[in-house]
Amino acid sequence: MTRTRTKPTLIVTGLTAAALALTGCAGSASQKDSKASADGMIDQLTFPSEADAAVGGLVNYNPNSPKPLTATWLYEPLIVRNSLTCEETPWLATKSTWEGGNKLTFDIRDGVKWSDGQAFTAKDVAFTFNLMKQYPAFDKAGVWNNTFGAPAKSVTAQGNQVVFEFTGNAAPKYDGIIATKILPEHVYSKVGDPTKYVDKTPVSTGPYKVGSYNGRRLVLERRADYWQADKVKVQKIVLEGQYDAAQAALKLRAGQLDAYYGEVPNPKKTFVDADPKNNHFYYAPNGMTVLTGNDQQKPFSDVKFREAISYAMNKQDMSLKATYGVMKPASQTGLKLPSMASLVPAKYSGEDTVLPYDLAKANQLLDAAGYKKGADGKRTNPDGSPLSVNFSVQAGFIDYQAIADVVVKGLNDIGVNSKVTASAPDSVDGQKKTGDFQLMLEYLHGGCELAKNIGAKLSSTQIPTKTDIFPNVQRFSDPAVDAAVTKLASDTDKESQKADLAPLVDTMMTKFPVTALIYAPARILYRTDKAVGWPSEDNAYANPQDDKLLVLTHLTAPK
Amino acid sequence: MTYFARKFGFFLATLWAVVTLNFLIPRLQPGDPAEIMVKRLAGKDAALDPAQVKAMRAMLGAPDGSLWNQYVSYLGELVHGNFGLSYTYYPYKVTDVIAQAFWWTVVLVVVTQVVSFVVGIVLGAYAAWRRNSRLDSIVTLGSTFLGTLQPFWIGLLLLYVFGYSLGWFPTSGGYEESTPGFNWPFIQEAVSHSFLPALALLIVTPIGWILGMRNTMIMNLGEDYIRLAKAKGLRDRDVALRYAARNALLPSVTGFALALGGVLGGAILVETVFDYPGLGRLMGEAVQNKDYPLLQTLMLLTTAGVLVANLAADLLYGVLDPRARRAQA
Repeated sequence: MTRTRTKPTLIVTGLTAAALALTGCAGSASQKDSKASADGMIDQLTFPSEADAAVGGLVNYNPNSPKPLTATWLYEPLIVRNSLTCEETPWLATKSTWEGGNKLTFDIRDGVKWSDGQAFTAKDVAFTFNLMKQYPAFDKAGVWNNTFGAPAKSVTAQGNQVVFEFTGNAAPKYDGIIATKILPEHVYSKVGDPTKYVDKTPVSTGPYKVGSYNGRRLVLERRADYWQADKVKVQKIVLEGQYDAAQAALKLRAGQLDAYYGEVPNPKKTFVDADPKNNHFYYAPNGMTVLTGNDQQKPFSDVKFREAISYAMNKQDMSLKATYGVMKPASQTGLKLPSMASLVPAKYSGEDTVLPYDLAKANQLLDAAGYKKGADGKRTNPDGSPLSVNFSVQAGFIDYQAIADVVVKGLNDIGVNSKVTASAPDSVDGQKKTGDFQLMLEYLHGGCELAKNIGAKLSSTQIPTKTDIFPNVQRFSDPAVDAAVTKLASDTDKESQKADLAPLVDTMMTKFPVTALIYAPARILYRTDKAVGWPSEDNAYANPQDDKLLVLTHLTAPK
Repeated sequence: MTYFARKFGFFLATLWAVVTLNFLIPRLQPGDPAEIMVKRLAGKDAALDPAQVKAMRAMLGAPDGSLWNQYVSYLGELVHGNFGLSYTYYPYKVTDVIAQAFWWTVVLVVVTQVVSFVVGIVLGAYAAWRRNSRLDSIVTLGSTFLGTLQPFWIGLLLLYVFGYSLGWFPTSGGYEESTPGFNWPFIQEAVSHSFLPALALLIVTPIGWILGMRNTMIMNLGEDYIRLAKAKGLRDRDVALRYAARNALLPSVTGFALALGGVLGGAILVETVFDYPGLGRLMGEAVQNKDYPLLQTLMLLTTAGVLVANLAADLLYGVLDPRARRAQA
C-alpha cells in the first residue's frame, strides 16, 4: 500500500516544483502590467468555496463523495453539454455516436495527461464506468440500473474508443454518462471501495492542481501541461468562504470575489448599480417554476378547471415580486424559450405560448364548466359541494412564497376560495411522495434530455412513490402521452425527437397538467475588472452555474 | 454507600433514556438524507435525479431495516464505541469530524463560562454586600434588562456595528490565511475571530450568576452567624468574603459544574451567527442535512456531558455535605 503510493507522490512533487518555476515566471511577467498582459493571462480569480462545510480541514477530492473540496477543477467529464442551448463541447471525448438507442461509442481524446504524468487513455474511461458496476453507490449516472432506460450490458475500451452496450434503449442516460468525472485507473484501482476512499492527493486530468489548503482556503494552480492549456488564462483559482446573499454582494462589490453563483435577490440594485461598468449578472432561464395541482383529486382532476385557473395567473406580477422582474413569464409549452425555440412544434410556433393573464376568460371558463358562483362570491364544485384549495408552500423559500401570494390572489379573484399553508420544505417533499396535497409550486427541469425532463414530468411511470420523489408530482396519467414519452426516449436523432415532442407540448397546451409560471434561473454574478469572456444573455455559450470548466476556457484578461 | 450506588444507578437509567431519545428524535423529523445530499448539489428545489438518489442511498447505506433493527444495531455499535461515518463528510468518521470542531468550541465556551462565572460571582456578592447602593441598582437593573436579551441577537448587533459598519473585527469563520496549529499568525487570527462571539456570550452569561449569587448572599447575610461575626468586631471584608460569600457560593458551584457539562453542545445560535467553526454550528449543519450519525453523536456528547457533570456534582455534594448523604440514605 505504502509502496504503491510513494512513487506517484514523488512524481507529483517533481511536477509541482517544475510548475512552480513556470508559474513563478509567469507571475513576475504579469506583475509588470497586471491589467493587460500581452498573452491575456490573469493572475488570480476568487470564487466561493464549493464545499459549504461547517468544518474545514477534512480533505477529500474524491469527486463522488457528497462534499469534495472541489468538484469542478480537477476531474473532467467526457463532454460538456450546455443545458441552455443543448450544444455540446467535446472534452475528454472528441465525439459520441449512438447506434440505435442501445449502443453508444465515444472517441477518446489523444494527448491528455494525468497530473502525475501518466497518459490518459480509453481504458481509464472504461474503468470508471465498470467501477460503477462493481460499486452501485458510485453509479450516479444510473448506467447499470434501470433508471431512465435499460441498464448497460458492457462498457469496453476498444483502441481509442469506449463502447457502451445496453440491454435495451438507454438514450436518456446520455446526459448522465457524458457528465461523469473520469478517474485514473492506476490510482482508483488500488484503493478498494472507491466510495470509502479519501482522495487527498488527486491525480486528475483537469486544468488545475491543488496548491494549498488551510482548512478554509483552497488554492488551485494552473497546470502548464493541461491538454488545452492554451485556453486556460487563469493562473490561480482561490476557493474560499461560504456566503449568503448579503455577504456575497458585499464581497463582490469589494472585489474580494470575482463570481458568485447563489441566489442574490435583485442583483441589479444590490450589485450592478454599484459599478455598472464592471459588475454584471446573468440569470439564464434553466427551467421553470410550475403550479402543480393534484390531478387525481377534485378539483384539479378536471381539465377545464386547470385550464381556467391557468388564465388567472398574473405572471408579470410574480416575476416582479419574486425575482424583481429578472425572470420572465414562462411558456406553457414547458420548453424554455427562446433557447429551445427550435423545438416548438409548427402548430404553436407562430403564437405567443405564454398564457395571458385574463380574469374574464378564467371566470367564463369556470362558469361554463359548472363551477357556480354563490351569493358570497365563492364558487362551488359542479356537484354543489364547497370548493376550497389549500396551497402548500415551502417555508423559507422567499421567491416561492411571493409567487404563492400572487397565485392565491388570482384564485380568490375568480371565486376559488384558497389559502396558503407554509410548511418546512421537507414536509412538502413528504407531500410529494404521499400525494396528500392539493396545490404546490414545483420546478420543471428544462434539461436537454427531453424524455428525462419534460417527458418524465408527464409520464405515468414517473409518479412519486412512498419512498421516492419522481418528476410527475401532479400524478398526470394518459396512456397516449406515455407512448409518446417512450418513443421520445428511444430516439437519438434530433429531428425525429422534435416530432416526438409535439404530442407532449400539445398536452401541456391543452390539458394543463401543470401551469407554467415563470422561468427559474441558472445564476452568475461576476466582475469584469480582472477577467472578461463570461457568459451573458447575448453570448449564452455555457450554463453559467453548471459549466464552469467551459466558462474558464473563455476567460481572458481585459484588453 | 447506598447513596453513591443510587446516584450511579440513576445516572445509568438517564443515560439509557437519553440514548434512546437521541436515536428517535432525529428520525421523527421529515426528510431523507440521500435526497437532501443530492438536492444540495442540484439546488434547493431542482428535480431530483433518481439515479443520483439511488447511488447516494447505496453510498450512505441508510436508513434501512425497521426502526427496531436500526435501534438494536445502533446500541450495539455504541457499546463498541463505533459512532459511524458522517453522511455530510462521508467517508470521514463522525469522531474525526467532531475532533475538527471540538477545540474551537471548548476554547470559546470554556473561557467565556469561566470568565462569566468569576465576574458574576464577584459582582453578585458585591451587590449583595452593598445592597441598595448605586452599584447594586445598576448591576441588578442592568442584569434584569440584559437578561431578557438573547446572545445570538446581541451577536447580530455586534456583527453589524463592529463587523460591517466599523470593520474592526472579521465577520465570519475562525481564521483566514494561516495554517491551524500552534503558530503565532494562527493564534492572532483565531483570537480576533473569536472576540465578537465571546463578547456576545460574555454580555449575557454572567447575569444568571450575578442574580443567583446576590440572592443567596442576601439570604446568608440575614443569618445569625453573620450578626455574631459582626458583633465580634470582625472586619467587614472578612465577614463578606469568608463568611457570607463562601457559604453562598455552594449552589453556584453546582450550577457551574452543570454549565461546563453543557459546553460540548456549543452555543448553536451564536456560532451560527458568526459562522464560527465549532460544535454548535456543526450541530446546526447536521440537523439540516439529516446527518443522523453526526447528530446523534453530538447530542449524545452534550447530554452525556451534562449527566457526567451532574453525577460528579452529586457525588461531590455527598462528600462535602454530610446532610445530603444522611437525608437521602
